[in-house]
Order: sequence, then C-alpha cells, then structure tokens
Amino acid sequence: MSLDDYRSVFIGVSLVLLLLAASPSLSVVVPFSGGSEHFSEFWVLGSTHMAEGYPFDVRVNETYKLFVGVANHLGSSAYYVVYLKFRNQSQPLPNLTTSEASPLEPLYTYRAFVVDGGTWESPLTFSVLESSDYGGFVSIDSISINDVAFPVDIISMWDAVNNGFYYELFLELWLYHTASRSFRFHNRFLGIWLNMTS
Amino acid sequence: MSPVKFSFVLVILLFLAPQFFIVAVSPQVSKDEAASALANSESVLVSAYDTVLEAEQAGANVSGLLVRLSDAGERFDKAGVAYRLGDFEATINLANNCSEIGNSVKLEADELRLEAYGPRYVELWFNLILSILGIIIVAFGSFWAWRTFKRRYYRRVLEMKPEVASSEP
Repeated sequence: MSLDDYRSVFIGVSLVLLLLAASPSLSVVVPFSGGSEHFSEFWVLGSTHMAEGYPFDVRVNETYKLFVGVANHLGSSAYYVVYLKFRNQSQPLPNLTTSEASPLEPLYTYRAFVVDGGTWESPLTFSVLESSDYGGFVSIDSISINDVAFPVDIISMWDAVNNGFYYELFLELWLYHTASRSFRFHNRFLGIWLNMTS
Repeated sequence: MSPVKFSFVLVILLFLAPQFFIVAVSPQVSKDEAASALANSESVLVSAYDTVLEAEQAGANVSGLLVRLSDAGERFDKAGVAYRLGDFEATINLANNCSEIGNSVKLEADELRLEAYGPRYVELWFNLILSILGIIIVAFGSFWAWRTFKRRYYRRVLEMKPEVASSEP
C-alpha cells in the first residue's frame, strides 16, 4: 500500500470516529428509531374475546357483543377516533387505494388516547330494533349501538347468490394529526357482514 | 269594548305573551348552547392532547393523563349522541364534564412539561459537551496518529536496503 492509500484509510476511520463522538448531540436532532416500523393495530373480537364467534345471522331485538381495540406503535402518543358505520351491499366502503373514508355518516364514535406501545379496547353491543320484510327486500329502520337507539332506514335486496339480506357493520380508524390539527382516515377499517334473517 | 275592558285584556295579553314566546324560543336557545358546549369541549380536548404531547416530548410520563383524556373523550362522544337525540341538557352536562377533565389534564400536562424540561436541559448540555470533547479528542488523536504513522512509514522506507540480485545465470 502506498502512503496515499494509508491516508485514505486514516481519513475514513477518523470520520467514522468523529460521527461516533458527535452521536450524543446528533441523537437530539436526528431520530434514531432503531429500525422499528411505525404502525397502528386495529381489531374486532367476538363475544368470547377471541377472533371467533362473530355474529352473522341476526334477528330483531337480539343483542350481539363485540370488542373493538387499537394498539399504538407510532413512536409517540396518539389520538384515535373510531367511526362505526352501517351499510347495505351497494353503499360505499372506504377506499384503501386512495386512502378515502366511506362517505356514509357514522352512527357511533369512539375516542381513544393511547400511549406509545399501549392498547385501548371497548365493548360494542348492537341489536336490530326495528325491521320490515317486504318479500324481495328488507328494511332495517332502527338499530341500537351500546344501548342507544339510532334510526337508520337502510334497505337490502335479496342476494340470490349468497341467499340472504346482507348488511355490513364496519369501523373506520382515524388519527389526529397535530401539524394540520385535524383528523385523517388512517387507512384501516374492519367490517362484519350480517344477514338479516327475521 | 270599553277602555277599561280593553286595558284589562291588554294587560293579560302582555303577561301571557312572553310565556308563549319563551316556550317557543327556549328549545332553540338550548340547542345553540348545547352545540356551543360541544364545540368548546372538542377544542379543549384537542388543546389538552397537544399539551400532553409536548410534555411527552419533553420526557414526562403521560400515560395517566392519557387515560383521563380517554375518559373525557368518552363523555364527549356521549354528549354527541345526546345532542343527536335532542337531549340538550345532557349534552351540556356531558360536554362541560369533558371540558373540566380536559382543562385539568392540560394544566397538569403543562406542569409535567416544565418539570421534565429541567433534567432534559441538563441532559442536552451534557450530550453537547460530551460530543464536543469527543470531537476534539478524535481530531487531535487522528492527527497525532497520522503523524506518528507517517514518520514510521518514512523511516521504514529509508531503512530499506536495495537488494542486489545476481545477474549470473
């Protein structure tokens, strides 16, 4: 090796050592995340608090229980809002490609402030209070969410392929952004299909 | 109608009319108040959360405050439901409850933030001094090591003796 080669090695090693020496101050300016991924978990569990036993065939005045949960892995505390919406097969769902929420009005709202690494969970009970059967279609007029009655008036046509009158109860996860001081759809939603039997 | 009778009817009307007026108007006023209380509690919640976030960034433990904020958020949601169902009195009560919790959380978060800033500043200064010392040591150390190495390198080169290779077959 020539002296110039040795000089290059010395300069390289010195620069690395300088960066190491400056790292205590650099850590204030540059966040060292340690390579961890930032994300939020979002779940709906059945009545037994497991990923099973979800309601499917629903009847008027029968109460069904679920659990809604969120886990925060965003690297700092987060302010979440969960919107519960109800639709028939033809009404729009959120669009995950364009990160747009469903334009349907929420029936119920959950609000959760979750510390980084923490979880939040809340029970969700619902029942169909009023429905009308018109032969070829069914109309749900009122449903109860966590013991509060909401008028809905949503019609579902008979689905000849899947044999049922289908509705979907779905939940959207929204996140508060401090920079814009507004909530944005967090591009996560969960849905449960319900077949209105009688 | 005699002037006396007319005055009597007028006085009765004057007494009754405001009551009808109040009955007709009060639900509207109550709805506006409920909407205002709801909007106020929402901004209190957001403001409290912003302060909690600042306290967290300063290094404070905010998990307890977030639990209380979730409680306030639950009341806010119930207030929203009460508003939609037309129960404006419940809306105002729940929204005010939410605002009270939000305001107290904001105050505590502010205190925690200030408390956390002291040790944080000490830590920042310590890191800064440590970095400056480290940089000086590395810079001088590298310079000294390079000079020593260069000197030894030249000495070794100068001490080298040319080898005489035999030209005989």
